[in-house]
Amino acid sequence: MTAASGDSRLAADRIRAFEQAGSAEELVVATRRLIACDDPLATVPQLVQVLGFNNPGAAVAAVDGLIALGPAAVGPLLANLDAHNYGARAWAVRALAGIGDTRGLDVLEDALATDVGPSVRRAAARGLGALRLETLAEAERQEVRERCLGALESGRGDGEWVVRYAVAVGLEGLALPLPPAHPQRDRAEASLGQLQDPEREDTLVVRLRAGVALKRLNAQ
Amino acid sequence: MAGDGEPISEAEALEQLRQTEDQSRQYYAAWWLGRMRSRHPEAVPLLLAALRQRQPRDVGAGVEHNAVARNAARALGKIADGRAVSELLVVLDDADDGLREAAARSLGELRATAAVPLLTRRLASGPDVAGAHRSDSPRLQEPCEAMLEALGTIGVAEAEVLAVIKPFTSHGRPLVRSAACRALLQLTGETAWADELLQLLQHPQLQVRRAALMDLGAVGWRPALVPIQRTLAENSLKLIALRGLVENGSGHEVDSDDEAVLMAMDALL
Repeated sequence: MTAASGDSRLAADRIRAFEQAGSAEELVVATRRLIACDDPLATVPQLVQVLGFNNPGAAVAAVDGLIALGPAAVGPLLANLDAHNYGARAWAVRALAGIGDTRGLDVLEDALATDVGPSVRRAAARGLGALRLETLAEAERQEVRERCLGALESGRGDGEWVVRYAVAVGLEGLALPLPPAHPQRDRAEASLGQLQDPEREDTLVVRLRAGVALKRLNAQ
Repeated sequence: MAGDGEPISEAEALEQLRQTEDQSRQYYAAWWLGRMRSRHPEAVPLLLAALRQRQPRDVGAGVEHNAVARNAARALGKIADGRAVSELLVVLDDADDGLREAAARSLGELRATAAVPLLTRRLASGPDVAGAHRSDSPRLQEPCEAMLEALGTIGVAEAEVLAVIKPFTSHGRPLVRSAACRALLQLTGETAWADELLQLLQHPQLQVRRAALMDLGAVGWRPALVPIQRTLAENSLKLIALRGLVENGSGHEVDSDDEAVLMAMDALL
């Protein structure tokens, strides 16, 4: 890499440097530089590609970059979901959970219900409580929330404490914007009540998190 | 959820542990009963019987009897039934160091104060003997990490116990140092041992950083919150460590800052 191209903030130069990265460390640095270029949107294909490289440092940077780009990254993420590359799919689920676009709903539901990795299921659970619904009509919001609630209610029975913890976080996120006595808010609160109950939930930290969620919901 | 193997019921697990023809089935059944923390009245007697199947090691024998015994020892710790203590104490003197390791961990989980004299006796020769490298494997003469951790968990903070643990804080292996500092921090609450663990969070080897995370979580050292957040390691491990800060809280201002730790956990999901 010449000094000139190393200093360039142009997307094209940084994509070229990215493509020439030889080692795992160089790839991490090159990925971070993609996100900080003058036109990060132009680097979405490369960021999505990084998710399949089995380089966790670079993948973390790429997920952060994709989340920062928001809805513009959702199409490429969905188009490149690779059922055969488990690692890539896990990173894509995290990116979709962080972006909160409703086009990712199918993937998040499926991930929480069926993914073998607890880290993927926990990201999906958090994401199901953080979808951005502002631009949708009320009927559509209602429908999306219904699916999220159903997925989170099933997730309460997950065998891993960290997934149930994320379900509590998801339920809080889903219920907080709803007015008191809204039927979906009531359902979320009922679920949180179960996660707070020592008879039904044996992990203390999950019960404490559900308690914080209920405290916040009741404070409104 | 089913675990890593084929899904079986509790009744099947008990049956597979009871038979002695197929040891790989016994091995899995013992693991399963521990993982599910079985409360069935037959679970503990069957696991104790499996533990008594141990015999001198025969490396050529495929899944050896001691593999079943080791899983039985681990399961007895998870089930945490006091009836297991006396047999586990005997195992602590077994010739198989893998069995001693499993027994030490389980006696720790059982908070078995009766194990303290035996554990300190086996470690008393210090890092140069008990902690010396073996010529035939990468393991140490004694399973030092498991024994040190057990002493910390059991919680007998007598001067003789502390005197046995302290020399291991300068053992050549950072994982042993981490286990010794963890035990001393649990037993004394002295900040100096926490500082050693915080240093290990910045160790160049990921394996050492992971161990220090687990150790700070096991102690529940609240002042470690920010250093844990900054550690270069997987979110999954940081979440386990932070869970430990909430559930085992020690150090300063216990109870007052649960919510701060929970919010740090949220950010790692």
